[in-house]
Amino acid sequence: MTNTGLRRILQRREFTVFGLILALVILFSLTTERFMSVSNLSNLLLQLAGTAISAIGMTMVIITGGIDVSVGSALGMASVVAGKLLMGGYPPILVLLASLGVGLLIGLFNGMLIAWGNIPPIIATLGMMSILRSLMYQLLGGRWISGIPPAIRIIGLGKWLGIPISMWVTAFLIGFFTYFLSSRPLGRAIYAVGNNPEAARISGIDLRRTTLFVYAVLGALVGFAGLVYVARTGIVQTNTGSGFELEVIAAVVLGGTSILGGRGTVIGSLLGAFLVGIIKNGMVLLNVPALSEGLVIGVLIILSVMIDVIRVRGERI
Amino acid sequence: MEYILECRGIFKSFGGVQALKGVDFTLKPGEVHALVGENGAGKSTLIKIISGSLLPDRGDIFYMGQPVRIDSPRKAQDMGISTVYQEPLVYGELSVLENIFLGREIRTPRGNIDWKKEEEKAQSLFTSLGLPYHFLREPMRELSVGLQQLVLIAKALVYEAKVIIFDEPTAILTEHETERLFSIIQKLRDRGVGIIYISHRLEEIFRIANRVTVMRDGEVKGEFPIEAVDRAKIVELMAGKLLVEEIARKRSRGEEPLLSVRGLTKKPRFFDISFDLFPGEILGFFGLVGSGRTDVAQSIFGLLAPEDGAIIFNGHRVRFASPEEAMRAGIAYLPEDRKVQGLFPIQSVAYNISVTMLRELSRRFGIVDIQKEQGLADRYVRELNIKTPSLYTRVYSLSGGNQQKVVLAKWLSVTPKLLILDEPTRGIDVASKSEIHNLIAQLADRGLGVMLISSELPEILKMSDRVIVMHEGRITGVFEGQEKTAENIIRAATGERMVVSGGVGA
Repeated sequence: MTNTGLRRILQRREFTVFGLILALVILFSLTTERFMSVSNLSNLLLQLAGTAISAIGMTMVIITGGIDVSVGSALGMASVVAGKLLMGGYPPILVLLASLGVGLLIGLFNGMLIAWGNIPPIIATLGMMSILRSLMYQLLGGRWISGIPPAIRIIGLGKWLGIPISMWVTAFLIGFFTYFLSSRPLGRAIYAVGNNPEAARISGIDLRRTTLFVYAVLGALVGFAGLVYVARTGIVQTNTGSGFELEVIAAVVLGGTSILGGRGTVIGSLLGAFLVGIIKNGMVLLNVPALSEGLVIGVLIILSVMIDVIRVRGERI
Repeated sequence: MEYILECRGIFKSFGGVQALKGVDFTLKPGEVHALVGENGAGKSTLIKIISGSLLPDRGDIFYMGQPVRIDSPRKAQDMGISTVYQEPLVYGELSVLENIFLGREIRTPRGNIDWKKEEEKAQSLFTSLGLPYHFLREPMRELSVGLQQLVLIAKALVYEAKVIIFDEPTAILTEHETERLFSIIQKLRDRGVGIIYISHRLEEIFRIANRVTVMRDGEVKGEFPIEAVDRAKIVELMAGKLLVEEIARKRSRGEEPLLSVRGLTKKPRFFDISFDLFPGEILGFFGLVGSGRTDVAQSIFGLLAPEDGAIIFNGHRVRFASPEEAMRAGIAYLPEDRKVQGLFPIQSVAYNISVTMLRELSRRFGIVDIQKEQGLADRYVRELNIKTPSLYTRVYSLSGGNQQKVVLAKWLSVTPKLLILDEPTRGIDVASKSEIHNLIAQLADRGLGVMLISSELPEILKMSDRVIVMHEGRITGVFEGQEKTAENIIRAATGERMVVSGGVGA
């Protein structure tokens, strides 16, 4: 048993991704001087937090067999709301609730379109992505928000024991959702829905409510990520969050969550987020043009989904 | 309480078709009650009503003596009625343990899933059924289909099932797995569980059932203790006095076979299949789903590669590597599921008819000649009497019968010599059905060879000049003339090897 247990760990995607991360860390610390510096590493962690937090929600959505491409615009929208409220001098706790609330509302709306409107997830959230981006233009009127009051910026920049506070929050959320997905009945129902919706329905699992739940949780997490973004960068623009959806989805599928549904872990997605973050960071340090970043991430997404599809095809026939 | 489950006077209709006409069915605790009947007899409708997937139009159901209304599968399970379907409904990526307990988790006081208790309970269940349990933590997909099914039986016990319905459980099992299933069914019975057992394999019923109910045309035709009945009686009741008038034909069968198949084999789907098909002949293929009929047809059409054997078509030995080659040689295949395999539903009638011959219809530079396309479509719409508002109506808005005629038109437009029809009238209204039957007869009279696959006995009896019956991948009977009776065909289809009349083919 221990032998097969070890083999199973070695075969897991999480292990492969972990190995890749180690390899890249070694590569970048040998080829660049700055990679291993404290300032670069803490910068890396700061940038990672938002992606990792959103990837938790995205993992659950993809496990049910869905997808949400509106998270970039949703992050932007939450940043706009947070930024405006902060500039208006509202207390931080209210701003926190407002960002969570905006994200939650967007998620609920997506979930309802998908579960009750029977609109394919990619289309529902694609529409939402465009609508939200347009709303952001209207709200900002083409201007930036900058000069965010310093009190709130502790969420984005503050540290405790040398580790950014946003990373502590991420760690807590990863721990909580790992527990939720592995030990709570509702968490397991999410896997069941992605594995075999028909069997899940017969077992008495409410497919619509489960769908609504995962999109709503993703929305709220993205809303929080939006606040973290504002607190870290201190500015909000009309293009804030564009391309963010790609990063989140990349983290999730690289981390071993099956795009076909039914399989995946939030730990894997955290590792995936690290992988994406390290690749981006390392490429900057190596002075690779920023445009190639998309190329590398795109290739990685396609490769890892290909592995997934081949794995499933191999089993079913 | 004599009966654990009692259904009285159950009626159910679907859009004017009476599927159940006052069915009575009872089940005692600790018995295996077999339910048999041909396709369309009403077995599955009755099962769906008992398991909560359908509500009856009329009639009463009593469970443990109390009248009940079973309005969802979940409710049926909560009451203690579980169903083991032919294809196991599993969560492939989740562990065996989760497959058993999902929806019924054992929880710790804090509401977490108590894996340890679940594992202990599963272990004691498996032990009591005489099953190994070392695979409880493995993903379900790594188990064989037979084991998956046993896991689902264990799941029924977790739900404290008092009634377990087995819907053709052995159809996909190996012999060894079947034996194990039987020993478990016996154990369940000894524990006082009531078992409803549906199977087309009569020998199984005589092995494990205590009672048997025979259904036909939505009615119960007989209910017997197993000792009081024999195989012949059951077959007779299943077949009934089927009064089928054969369709009028010119009988213009050619001399030389159009298609000769010799020793065609593709394990494990079919073995040593040999037959001849003559021009102008309608050769019926009857058998249960999974008996290999469709696989044989697809091998002839180039969709499956046979391992062994020869196909001689039109005087030449052939082996088509693709459907396109088969089509060019003059074979047309009308697939079983027209929605998936035969139609482009959101395209027009004209497009659907002409799509197989776009090359022939195109002018210079490969542009499709619209006028020719229209002419072709128009001709078939009139010839086949397709009821459509216009040539440019989207096909999905037509009735099932007219959709099927469009598929037929599509294949006729390539002027084939051999037409393979797989369940051509499934799910079609009665009027269109008889129109399609007339069409098939006309085509055969014009000299086409027709291979007609059908699970409907009346259709086979009405249309075929000869009938080949398959059972588990082998030909178990060939009948024509006087011997082409419902009873003979059912006997062969349930696995009895018949004396083959007229030899194999020629």
